Amino acid sequence: MSGGAAGMETRKPTLREKIQKLRLTFLDKLPDMILEGRGMCGRLLVAPGDAKALDDLFRAFHTIKGTAASFGLNEISDQGGIGETLVTAFRNLSPPERAETAATVVGELSAVLDQTAGLVTVAGDGEVKIDHETKVFFSVKDEKDGFPSKRVFLCDDDQIAGEHLIAQLTCFGYEVVPYSTTDALRTAVLANAPDAVIMDIMFPDGINAGTEIIDSMRRELSSPPPVVFLSARRDFDARLRSVQAGGQAYFTKPVKVTELVETLDVLTNREEPDPYRVLVVDDEKEVAEYHGLILEEAGMSVRLLYEPSAILDVLTEFRPDMVLMDMYMPTCSGRDLSQLIRQIPDFISLPIVFLSNETNKVMQISALRVGAEGFLTKPIQPDDLITAVAVRAERMRTLRSLMVRDGLTGLFNHTFLSQYLVTALATAKRETKRVSLVMLDIDHFKTINDSYGHPAGDQVLVALSRLLQQRLRRSDMLGRYGGEEFAVIMQNTGPEEARLIVDGLREDFSRLQFQAGERSFSCTFSGGVAGFPDVPRDHLMEAADQALYRAKRAGRNRVAGVPAEVRS
Amino acid sequence: MRIMVVDDDALAGELTAAVLESAGHEVVLVENGIEALEKFGEDRAFAMVVSDMNMPLVSGIELFRHLRDANIDIPFILLTGDDPAPMMAEEPRLDVCLTKDASLEISLIEAIEAANERRRRA
Repeated sequence: MSGGAAGMETRKPTLREKIQKLRLTFLDKLPDMILEGRGMCGRLLVAPGDAKALDDLFRAFHTIKGTAASFGLNEISDQGGIGETLVTAFRNLSPPERAETAATVVGELSAVLDQTAGLVTVAGDGEVKIDHETKVFFSVKDEKDGFPSKRVFLCDDDQIAGEHLIAQLTCFGYEVVPYSTTDALRTAVLANAPDAVIMDIMFPDGINAGTEIIDSMRRELSSPPPVVFLSARRDFDARLRSVQAGGQAYFTKPVKVTELVETLDVLTNREEPDPYRVLVVDDEKEVAEYHGLILEEAGMSVRLLYEPSAILDVLTEFRPDMVLMDMYMPTCSGRDLSQLIRQIPDFISLPIVFLSNETNKVMQISALRVGAEGFLTKPIQPDDLITAVAVRAERMRTLRSLMVRDGLTGLFNHTFLSQYLVTALATAKRETKRVSLVMLDIDHFKTINDSYGHPAGDQVLVALSRLLQQRLRRSDMLGRYGGEEFAVIMQNTGPEEARLIVDGLREDFSRLQFQAGERSFSCTFSGGVAGFPDVPRDHLMEAADQALYRAKRAGRNRVAGVPAEVRS
Repeated sequence: MRIMVVDDDALAGELTAAVLESAGHEVVLVENGIEALEKFGEDRAFAMVVSDMNMPLVSGIELFRHLRDANIDIPFILLTGDDPAPMMAEEPRLDVCLTKDASLEISLIEAIEAANERRRRA
């Protein structure tokens, strides 16, 4: 990197870039919305009078119509409009008319959803993704410092294409072992199954040799590894065979490496997704146990509470994704209890669903006014209960992740991290423990963008976040703080220890080799560390910032702490 | 200017916020009408509201009426996926009613300026 003037350069995303990112997020989300729409259509078939399903469906189409239009996706917006009109017309029918036409209307709505799904695929393909022209990737020069890798077997008879793919996957932390024949792959998998298999389909021994061998292996192994197919074939037959052979994904050649990596990341994730956490509040023990049992059977993690007055401790300790609450309890009403919960900032967006015999609309609405998410009427069918709870818990998690995560790196964003810091510091003060705050900033980031282009800059950001994610401890909270600035909150860690950890990361990061087209480059970051209680809570952020500034002024590529005379 | 953006669709809200922030405004995002009213209960320092029309529980127009009932008289811009004309006819006190489309980044900023201009003259 060429030396630049002292001081920090920041590159804020432009409005265009932000809109583009939101637009991609919307396109990513649409398949799920379409799936949900299909679910609601199914419910209409069974219960054409289900007002809730109709409302939900109307809102879904309305959202598609409005949001797609905002992003300039006019054809998708039109489909949303058609769906909306269909639902409105259906809603205006009398119950017998509805029952009679339900099948036809659901058919029409499904067609609209199909159309929308098709348009989403087309729009997605048209989007400019990051690494089209300049292949940008990073590699670790020093092997012993490499990421803890996952093992992937690649079976392709085209060895040149294979080598190219291996080079890139290795950069993303995968250990790739190539096999050029299906027999060799089969022997290797049976001997020692990898984390995933990438499989070509056409081989000299047959145009379906790839799918056939995977299909037969699946029968031999009790837990076969996940398989991704990669083929030049684009026909229906090949895709169908791949699905029937248990393929988890299908990519056509030439493959976009970032997409393949995304899929591999998901498939090889060794961590089980956390079950939804549901708190059931009901003074009637048997009722609570019954509902709890249904939800536990569906794989959720449930806590029962019979005594409303203990709710604050339980909320803090159990951290539920949602609360299922009886409306009438002797010591306090569900309405009062939910209002009480809402008055605590941490739980302001926690979904609360009432469960009661209440069929009175006015009472229901008064409960909704204090912030209840919904109303379920007892007795409720187990399946309905599971769906109602799962949908809300899921939506809560999605929303939370949209609100708290940065779009490019998937790390926590500024807002979330600031809130987390306040909580962490409060805990540390109460329990007389230590907290360190580290601010990191990539050196001369603007020059990287200017010299190698924004895709290169983005890859540097993604690489640093991957490195930090892989190497920091589980208890460390990591976030993207701004343009090229990252923050790490380390609990139970003094500033000296924090500085040593981050300094090790700094050395490793400086060894990463980035490629932009023909050119390769490396870059560095600077860091500033401040620790509580050495520095008082209110000044921690400022102190870490100043330490970072000192590191920059002292020549960059270093991690600075707070000088002794500044500490309290 | 400090602007409250009300939208139950997180993405649409983010989009509106991005447009406003790029024009130099400070944005507070809330998810529904009830939350909006609660926010006004604790903090009145907003110069304008930009709200989606179609939201669960309290619609954009209902939110507008609640605010006016509470004597909160700041400009109110309603965003809708539908034709704005009937909406304006139903509630002529609305400052602006805008259709959501790809020109939002321009039309919204113009609408804000127009609303402010009208207030200045009134």
